Amino acid sequence: MNRKLSRSGKTGVSDKALHGRPFFMTLFLMGMLTVQLSAQPYDLLIKGGHVIDPKNRINEPMDIAVNDGVVAKVSADIPATDAAKVVDATGHFVAPGFIDMHAHVFFGSTPRNFADGSYSVAPDNFSFRAGVTTVVDAGDSGWRNFPVFKEQVIDPSRTRVLVFLNIVGHGLRGDPYNNNFSDMDVEKTLSMIQQYPDIIVGSRIGHIRQNYWEPFEKAMEVAQLADMPMLLECNLPELELEKTLASMRPGDIFAHAHQTGRRSLMDDQQNRIYDFVNEAREKGIIFDVSHGGTSFRFSQAIAAIEQGFYPDTFGTDLHFNSRNSGMKNMLNVMSKFLNMGMSLEDVILRATWNAATALKREDLGHLSEGAVADIAVFKINHGNFGFVDVRGYRMDGDRKLVAELTLREGRIVWDLNGLAAPLWNE
Amino acid sequence: MMKYKLLLSFSFFWCFLLFAQSLKAQEIEILLKGGHVIDPKNEIDAPMDVAVSGNTILRVAEHIPEESARRVIDVTGLFVTPGLIDMHAHVFHGTQPGPYIANSFRSMPPDAFTFRTGVTTIVDAGSSGWRTFKQLKDQTIDHSRTRVLAFISIVGEGMQGYLHPQNLNDMDPVLTAYRINEYPDIIVGVKKHHYRGPDFTPVERAVEAGNLAGVPVMVDFGGHEPPLSLETLLMEKLRPGDILTHTYYSSPRRQGGVDENGQVRPFIFDAQERGIIFDIGHGAGGFQWPQAIPAMEQGFWPNVISTDLHNLSMNGGMKDMNNVMSKFLNIGMSLSDVVERTTWNPAQALQREDLGHLSEGAVADIAVFNMREGDFGFMDARRTAIRGTRKLETVLTLLDGDIMWDLNGIAAPMWGE
Repeated sequence: MNRKLSRSGKTGVSDKALHGRPFFMTLFLMGMLTVQLSAQPYDLLIKGGHVIDPKNRINEPMDIAVNDGVVAKVSADIPATDAAKVVDATGHFVAPGFIDMHAHVFFGSTPRNFADGSYSVAPDNFSFRAGVTTVVDAGDSGWRNFPVFKEQVIDPSRTRVLVFLNIVGHGLRGDPYNNNFSDMDVEKTLSMIQQYPDIIVGSRIGHIRQNYWEPFEKAMEVAQLADMPMLLECNLPELELEKTLASMRPGDIFAHAHQTGRRSLMDDQQNRIYDFVNEAREKGIIFDVSHGGTSFRFSQAIAAIEQGFYPDTFGTDLHFNSRNSGMKNMLNVMSKFLNMGMSLEDVILRATWNAATALKREDLGHLSEGAVADIAVFKINHGNFGFVDVRGYRMDGDRKLVAELTLREGRIVWDLNGLAAPLWNE
Repeated sequence: MMKYKLLLSFSFFWCFLLFAQSLKAQEIEILLKGGHVIDPKNEIDAPMDVAVSGNTILRVAEHIPEESARRVIDVTGLFVTPGLIDMHAHVFHGTQPGPYIANSFRSMPPDAFTFRTGVTTIVDAGSSGWRTFKQLKDQTIDHSRTRVLAFISIVGEGMQGYLHPQNLNDMDPVLTAYRINEYPDIIVGVKKHHYRGPDFTPVERAVEAGNLAGVPVMVDFGGHEPPLSLETLLMEKLRPGDILTHTYYSSPRRQGGVDENGQVRPFIFDAQERGIIFDIGHGAGGFQWPQAIPAMEQGFWPNVISTDLHNLSMNGGMKDMNNVMSKFLNIGMSLSDVVERTTWNPAQALQREDLGHLSEGAVADIAVFNMREGDFGFMDARRTAIRGTRKLETVLTLLDGDIMWDLNGIAAPMWGE
């Protein structure tokens, strides 16, 4: 860039121009030119990548310019000289930063606990290296301990953390707290949600082991009053599935889409999706993968896909137990679906725009000009790979996603191979 | 008589059970078949099978028959090594507000980073001191699957920020040694860190504690006002077996091993000769290409390769143990030399010679790697890069004979079969 400028400077200064007014005129014009050129309009340019931005229906080679933490321009050819820093993304895919719809991140020091405990994980440990820029906590906190969660994890994390607030005041603190009906306070839960509308995205119910509708109804009441989705997490096994789905509104979220047993969405004997599940889906209920340590089986997922039942979003259900088993991380979950026959664009859609709309956070999950510059630059490795489900069964595949570069609000927060780094001896 | 017969047959049955039990104890539970074993302690660098029984190594040999094993894992084309030891990390995670390293968000839960990179033993580098060690044990060590060892800081409070380590009154060699003797299976040494004064007092106290407890000292050197001599530290203050960390780091207040002209300072070789252990401790600042590359070329190699894992290093140039190891593969170190510096060398430095090798009877901590070939880049702590062609990837990790990580499901049966 500087080299180019000095070269044009040389040719621009003619002998004639060195005399009299034209000389100063030329100097003035050159000065203007210099100001304009050196004040490059963009901080960062991701050049030569293949952009997949399902919201904007882009699936083709595009350059992306970032400035001041937002997407400044998406266009087929943005000149390299327009940016202070250029990343050559040739051979890479460029997508909106991924949204993990289901994780447990109220990390703390209480042993054997999700709320403020060691069963949860710290978001930054897993997010950026998997292209994830937003994680959604699935109800570890309730109105009582959300402020602790915020101070302890959400504020010091660089990952954007959104939260479903548990209808239980103590959050996901294990028994007997989970089943304490007197700690399910609609008013207090709602008031906490209204206090933090930028962080809390809905109410959450789960881990209840009794045949009462009261907790469900309370969580639903909160969601209705807040005009937000309700997340139904694992195990309301005592409640009838058909009635549960019928009681959910369009936009409410059903976690653990590929589970077996009483919560299975299909007739396990015949591997057939129940009609009432397809109806629920048509009605607009969101089905999230929520892989976790117990909730993803190839036998279920593959049968579902064969019947045209694709999950809407790819929550990982990241926690102490899933991180080192079949789940591993967001990209591993996404790669499973890629190898089960889902197109790359459909995979990206579920990891970005689908999640954003489900969360009613339409500011996220796309690369529109002006949107926050949360960006995932990734590659597809080709080779022989294996993927494991929660029962310990393997499916082989030939493609795997790798996060090369992750931007959060325009800043590089992960750079696997030094794509954006200068060489050490240059 | 009837009663007697019954008793007799019962005791026969009992003997049979015992016999069956002893047979079972000898049975191969997991056989890693067809891999290339690198076990520097036992000078093995050859195709070998590895048999695991219970939580120990039963046998390492060529062609162990598959029929003798309950479970066979095909590791053809892969490298099999002892489980790695990451000798420098910060795992005293906790919830103290305004955190530095001790009991804070800046430290990491071990299991999030270990098994996926072949690490089975992680060593906390002095995040806690004699006063706070028990909290580290309660909060992290007792609730991690990873084997966690610890240096404790010579500062009683551990690593609590920049003021505490200036307090000479909180550096008590006797109490530090007491605490070490109380937990000899966990505490492996004394750490000295981040002292700014113009003197070697904290180093001397740490060495005194090390002498009292019979353990090595790890020193994070630098930041002194005015700067202190690295030569004095290595040649006079530290004992053979003591450890300098952040080996490839240089700053105005910390002399690097490589001088301004790119030459290794002569006393460095003398120090290594006298038994000083040079540890990488990559971290977010402690690894610079302008130090590492000339040093490697001139024969100043680290004794131990470690990460200095914490939340500022995890997403920068460091990333994880395999990334740090791969850097050395791409600047002239052989794979067996890299494995030695992440297994047997740290085991010896920590005086934990039960770890870091695959001898028969040793604990079955095992890592299985794939060597990926391609075009890779590696950043140092200052985010400048080298290009490289090889990168290690952890495929399988066993701790105590249990599978803790299986990247591609090589130990898993196919679904639907």
